[in-house]
Amino acid sequence: MSGIMRLGPRRGIAEFGTMVRDRKELYNSILGSAGIYALLAVWLRDRKVAGTDVDLSTYMMAGMMALVVFQIGLMNLPMMIAADREEGALLRLRTVPGGIGSFLIGRAVSITLAATLQIALILAIGLAVGGASLPASPGHWLTLAWVLPLGMLAVVPLGAALGALLPNPRTAGAVLGLPVMGLLIISGAMFPVTAMPEAVRWVAQAFPLYWQGHGIRAALLSDSTLAAEIGGTWRLAESAGILALWLVAGMVLAPRLLRRATRGAAGTRSPVGS
Amino acid sequence: MAYGKREVLTGVDLRISAGETVALLGPNGAGKTTTIEIMQGFRRRSAGDVTVLGTDPEKGDETWRGRLGTVLQSWRDHPRWEVGTLLSQIAAHYPSPWDSDELLAALGLTAQAKVKIGMLSGGQRRRLDVALGIVGRPELLFLDEPTTGFDPEARREFHELIRGLDTTILLTTHDLAEAERLADRIAVLIDGRIAVYGTPEELARAVQAPSVVSWQDGSTETHDPSQLAWELHQKYGGPVPALEIRRPTLEESYLSLIERSVA
Ligand SMILES: Nc1ncnc2c1ncn2[C@@H]1O[C@H](COP(=O)(O)OP(=O)(O)OP(=O)(O)O)[C@@H](O)[C@H]1O
Ligand SMILES: [Mg+2]
Repeated sequence: MSGIMRLGPRRGIAEFGTMVRDRKELYNSILGSAGIYALLAVWLRDRKVAGTDVDLSTYMMAGMMALVVFQIGLMNLPMMIAADREEGALLRLRTVPGGIGSFLIGRAVSITLAATLQIALILAIGLAVGGASLPASPGHWLTLAWVLPLGMLAVVPLGAALGALLPNPRTAGAVLGLPVMGLLIISGAMFPVTAMPEAVRWVAQAFPLYWQGHGIRAALLSDSTLAAEIGGTWRLAESAGILALWLVAGMVLAPRLLRRATRGAAGTRSPVGS
Repeated sequence: MAYGKREVLTGVDLRISAGETVALLGPNGAGKTTTIEIMQGFRRRSAGDVTVLGTDPEKGDETWRGRLGTVLQSWRDHPRWEVGTLLSQIAAHYPSPWDSDELLAALGLTAQAKVKIGMLSGGQRRRLDVALGIVGRPELLFLDEPTTGFDPEARREFHELIRGLDTTILLTTHDLAEAERLADRIAVLIDGRIAVYGTPEELARAVQAPSVVSWQDGSTETHDPSQLAWELHQKYGGPVPALEIRRPTLEESYLSLIERSVA
């Protein structure tokens, strides 16, 4: 066990190294979102969020940070796992003692590193161009410190299960791309959810992306943006509750989905690729 | 073993002793890969008993797994990793692995240590598969067509490497010379049954493929070359000019076995 606790992180760091060294992967899944945010931040520099004195670019920074976590968990992770399965990395690790454990921990470490790097980049751009400022008090820092990891945990089990279910990374991208885009638009990541019709607001509030973004805004933005939040207050308890609910649902569902994906292993090509 | 309703393996009765190298031969689709996958615990058998290193593969734990080495028929995993990084990462899972650099050198991959795996040529990729399969110093090694795509020199070096290993080996191959060179015993799997299992000589005897007898005035195929030679000696009343008896090669034994079972 202690072996896996050492090997998993080592694998994750090596894996992160291959992501950073791979140009395409680097642009697509690490620098891409930061680049888009930089463009938006410059373009929208002096626009305010309606009814507040907060820069739209500052508001968007929080949304982009939420999006990064959501997208890594529910889009990049499933695509990576589907690719690992299709290429046979999972099968390879099944031939190795403790291999599956080190694979899972490795993936967790590498996507956490990728998310951390992206968030740091977006924050840096927000500070440099977007007119944003760091959390105002230790309490605000604390909010950021729980809301980011909780938001990640809320989507990772589900993302891993989706990756195991979808046949290959292309299908995964096609199946997940649209819903993720849709949620991005309705979840208040780019502009206040209060601009949306009532029904859409309810849909948005069912998903972790909205609550992750709300929590990050509570940590990073001043109370003058409250006019743009539903109910005009920070609802941190609800944020924590709904993210935790997603985490629990993911933990319950993921093993079932995984079992379904591997059912009937006798008599079919091994579910972990061949 | 059945895939759904289709029975693929119906009579695999195979006992491999420690330290032995056994080659599993058979036409495409005979069930060689399926046999190996069952022995590794990657595929649940629909019936029958299997014991590998004293354990039922379906119940094998990680320690048991660590005593096995595997080179599966086709790999294309980890294309974005560097050769050396993956090898040492995998090696670290075993209690007493080979030194990665030494192993790369033994397989002629030293120059590729920093190359991305996806960029390797087919034969280089296969050599890396072999390196990954033996890096944990397995007690039992499964090699499913390990030398596909090897150039002749790499093949010879690989044969030397394999013969130098102090390991029990189950090998599948379509290269009969390779089977003859590496294997102590050969099993031929036809239509899900082990048709014969024994040393190459036992195989030839069991199959009774004809020998070719030729001499100055003729040449013929016979199942009993010694009888024919004796008759020829009597006919010539002494030494037979240019007498040559060629026993069937493994390839000929094998092919006549396949032909017979198809007929
Ligand atoms: N997942 C599967 N589902 C159904 N049939 C399968 C499956 N895998 C293999 N088979 C069938 O089982 C038979 C044996 O396949 P197997 O791969 O074991 O053959 P093999 O002896 O390794 O062949 P080759 O020399 O081509 O590698 C084949 O007829 C194949 O079509
Ligand atoms: Mg095969």
